[in-house]
Amino acid sequence: MNKLVAYVLAFLTVIAFIVFIVLRQSGSFNLLAYAEYESLILTGLSNTILVSMGALFGSLFLGFIFYLFSISKVKYLNAMTDVIREIIYGTPLLVLVVITAFVIGPAFGTYQRNALGIGALIIYMTPYMMNVYQSAFSSISQEQYMAMDLFGFTPFQRYRYIIIPQVVRILMPPMMNNFSMIIKGSALLNVLMFEELYYAIFIAQSRTFAFVEGYLILWILYLVITIPLSQLAKWVERKWSL
Amino acid sequence: MKINIQNLTHNYDVDVLKSLNLQIEGHRSIAIIGVSGSGKSTLIRLMSGLEKPTMGQIFMNDMDVLDPSYKKHIGFVFQNHNLFPHLTLLQNITLVLEKTRQVPKEEAHETAMKYLTLLHLEDQTYKLPKNVSGGQAQRASIARALSVNPDIIFLDEPTSALDPILTYEVLTAVRELKCLGKDFVFVTHEMSFVRDFADYVIFMDRGEIVEQGEPSILDAPQTKAMQDYMKKVR
Repeated sequence: MNKLVAYVLAFLTVIAFIVFIVLRQSGSFNLLAYAEYESLILTGLSNTILVSMGALFGSLFLGFIFYLFSISKVKYLNAMTDVIREIIYGTPLLVLVVITAFVIGPAFGTYQRNALGIGALIIYMTPYMMNVYQSAFSSISQEQYMAMDLFGFTPFQRYRYIIIPQVVRILMPPMMNNFSMIIKGSALLNVLMFEELYYAIFIAQSRTFAFVEGYLILWILYLVITIPLSQLAKWVERKWSL
Repeated sequence: MKINIQNLTHNYDVDVLKSLNLQIEGHRSIAIIGVSGSGKSTLIRLMSGLEKPTMGQIFMNDMDVLDPSYKKHIGFVFQNHNLFPHLTLLQNITLVLEKTRQVPKEEAHETAMKYLTLLHLEDQTYKLPKNVSGGQAQRASIARALSVNPDIIFLDEPTSALDPILTYEVLTAVRELKCLGKDFVFVTHEMSFVRDFADYVIFMDRGEIVEQGEPSILDAPQTKAMQDYMKKVR
């Protein structure tokens, strides 16, 4: 079977499954009920993207600091990154969000739930970003370092012209996948009443009572962002592979 | 070329080189041969200053190999081409010339093209290493080593990762470099290349230099270790 035909068939199967589920619902199905909440939903969508980008850049920065700690000669810093990584790996994002917003934040006298929610996302993604840095930097072979040494590149030149350009190429696809993970994870910020996509749909649902339609719109909107992103990550990986 | 090695010992977990001494003068192309694990690659890395010996001293053309300025006088070709993978073959050379030798851009481009052409790579200059054959990448690596105008070029098994056709291609290119008047030190298992190209041969076994001399020693090995080795590679 042709690859394209196979993909079209697989896609149609999923559509058929969704149609089947819609037809099985007992109530009436009216997507137009959400027409008047378009701006609310779009605001939720843009908030989701904005908060995810904030969390992406925050975790990229914090992940790099953690990466530096992990390769530091100071054993305490190595141990600290290990301990924090294990704690974060063992904590569900939802739990981390509520702990950050309702326990850690108040302990420091802050009740800014939105900021704390984004902070929780950043903390949650930090070990994953650290891993991305670790694999990107370790992919530069020892012999390349020998070659840099042999030709007499200064430390600045090594990073500027050889290491960072390679690291960025290696880092981009997993970073995009992590961005997708953040977008999905940001839905949990609704527990803080942060006006992201899930919360916007939740509000609209409470006014239209069209729950099925609301959940389907929610699902499709997430896919509209995450699927092109994962395809872009694959394309970048192919295009930029070394 | 003048080589003076005094009491050289090097170990990782075990002794790789044991109290090695070597004094050679007047040869232009020195082959280091021996079975895998005999210490040849370690010796060539120490001679090029890429690694620091556990004990002992090495002087190449009367220069201490640990002197930072020594590296300006040498070129090194690794087992794997070891080109920077994000740069084209041309950029691999121009970057080195512009950034580490302060050669102006135009001149760096000219020099790079000169050596890529010498290695028959003029039509591959704008390709990334992943898009050329292993032999072409290795030849580009040789061009890069030559471009900095070194006095001595070290080749550490430059064809070990290549199939016989690509090996022939690379070694033919190296043979053509003899006219450049550079000194060569190389590690290889290709005996026909040693016979053609070397004017002095060092045979190593278990971290020691067991036999050394003109390439004619290949035809009349004196020690059992070298006799066994020659039977396998002949």
